[in-house]
Amino acid sequence: MMKWMLAAGAAALAIASPVSAEKGGHGGKGQGGQQVRADRGGGGGGQKQARADRGGGERQQHMNGGGGNREVHSANFDRGGGGGHREFRTANVNRGGDKGHARQTRFVQNDNKGGGHDRVRNNQARFEGRQANNHQDRRQAMFENRGGDHVRAAQFDGDRIHGNGRFADLSGDKVFRVRDVDRHGVRFRDVDRDELFGRRLGYGVGGCPPGLAKKGNGCMPPGQAAKFIGQPLVTATRFGVLEPLPRSFNSLFYDNNDYYYRYGGGYVYRVDRHDDLISGLVPLFGAALVGQPLNPYFVNNYNQPPYYSAFYPDSPYDCHRYGYGYVYETDCMTGLVEDVIPTYDYGYGVGQIMPASYSYYNVPYAYRSYYTDNNDYYYRYAPGAIYQVDRGTALISAVAALLTGGLSVGQQLPVGYSAYNVPLAYRSTYYDTPDAWYRYDNGYIYAVDPGTQMVRSIVYTV
Amino acid sequence: MKRSLIPLAVAAGALALTACNTQNQAHKDEADKGTEAVQKAGDKTIAAGLDQNSSFFKATKAAGLDATLAGPGPYTVIVPDDAAFAKLPQGTLDGWMKPESRTELTRVLTYHILPGTVLASDIGKAIDAGKGKAVLATMGGGTLTATREGDKIVLTDGDGHKATMAGSDETLANGVIHRVDGVLMPGKKA
Repeated sequence: MMKWMLAAGAAALAIASPVSAEKGGHGGKGQGGQQVRADRGGGGGGQKQARADRGGGERQQHMNGGGGNREVHSANFDRGGGGGHREFRTANVNRGGDKGHARQTRFVQNDNKGGGHDRVRNNQARFEGRQANNHQDRRQAMFENRGGDHVRAAQFDGDRIHGNGRFADLSGDKVFRVRDVDRHGVRFRDVDRDELFGRRLGYGVGGCPPGLAKKGNGCMPPGQAAKFIGQPLVTATRFGVLEPLPRSFNSLFYDNNDYYYRYGGGYVYRVDRHDDLISGLVPLFGAALVGQPLNPYFVNNYNQPPYYSAFYPDSPYDCHRYGYGYVYETDCMTGLVEDVIPTYDYGYGVGQIMPASYSYYNVPYAYRSYYTDNNDYYYRYAPGAIYQVDRGTALISAVAALLTGGLSVGQQLPVGYSAYNVPLAYRSTYYDTPDAWYRYDNGYIYAVDPGTQMVRSIVYTV
Repeated sequence: MKRSLIPLAVAAGALALTACNTQNQAHKDEADKGTEAVQKAGDKTIAAGLDQNSSFFKATKAAGLDATLAGPGPYTVIVPDDAAFAKLPQGTLDGWMKPESRTELTRVLTYHILPGTVLASDIGKAIDAGKGKAVLATMGGGTLTATREGDKIVLTDGDGHKATMAGSDETLANGVIHRVDGVLMPGKKA
């Protein structure tokens, strides 16, 4: 009992302070969350690198920090079907002849269709090499026409970059911040320098997003984290000591011959073994800023887990919305986002904190003999599954058993139970006859009336 | 007269009982075969029964469901062979293997798992009882439609694509595996 109360306490604490602990809880234990689009403040998974200007006149160094770049990801991350990963790089090249204020930003997107080795690494080297050349070539002419917010991206002809490169080239006084990127084009938005520098220092206006600030190791907003893509792993250590993943998540991010995973500072990094450069990271923050109104653009119920509403029930004060792998807890009255919870799995919550309402042992009777709480794990039932929860982290570490919605005595047999499915060990006792059918579900064998298709009773508990 | 009727009646009754018994016996025989199969499987779970190098197993491992398939179940798992995965659009499987795609991958995999133990013959009987069509519920929440084509059973998924069952049951300690030649997709959710 004591164990459970402690665990309940831990879980409750973890849940009760959504701002700190929840993010903290997720911090560093990021599971296969979807790399959802970044909001205007930070690019979850958005990978941009701003390079300093070189050559020519004065050096202007600015970072197109996370704030700038947005990626639109659908639930299917690999839309291009590329086997590799996407990288975005920006380069600011000072075109000679200007006062030096002309900054040009190049955003390169490589859809890495090949394996893990075709990606563009050390882009910086390539762009550095360009400083002397005047690349006012035909490709840039395409961007002269910049009406409003939309700039069409040109297809790079790939002679310098592997794979399909798409870049948008902007000249003039303005620096454009990538607003979002999709297969058809890159959209930019004006941003003034002050805001850019603001990005460099913090996250949006006012510093760290809630949750990161608490970590006390310097806050690294998603936009800055994105800069680490393509960098050696050691660069990420500035913002958080890197540790191996917690043991119970080894099955989700397991080191293999191509990659190994480390986490720190609130991110899980995927590092390519061959060159020890960071090839990807799993972001931990949703696409909406806490305290801001939820942008309806981020809400999309495709892939909404069927049981997420059991985990996140609406109350008169909390309205939950789902989009692209994140659950947004909003205030029903004001519509402002109160919390952003990444759902790392399709309703089965592996990697999430077990919701506080499931803080006591509640495994259905049929399964109790199989799953009893022990020193390493405890088991909790929520619609859809019995979850194994790691005691140390209070995060769901595995789905112990899958469960269906369940049959109910007195109700109609649901669609889909037309086939006899009693476990083999019980078939000699419970077999279909014209008078009675038997169906198995969630640990019970039910008798069903074949004529009316009503579930009559539970005849056996497996 | 009466006397001669009784033996007839008794004989008739005995005949009827025998028929009843034969039916029960048939069920029992079938069931016994099933029990035998389970005993033969011993401790081997579905997870152990899958080829560890197969695409399907790698996918379940990536989704964290391999532990689930080693649990008590019982589950009926429909396993597409490697050729089926190869038929998917280029890069689909690789995309699913990434951590960020676990949601999608889990959704697809749970569409291949049915509750309880459903043998090929059970699906066949359900198709016949349903006049040519049987709907099967999956753990992921979607449904599969089973029909007969010739002597094979064909499963149709949420997108309308079909996969043919190899026809034999691989019985294991916690359920049964059916091999198919196509990957089933749950179809778009509303």
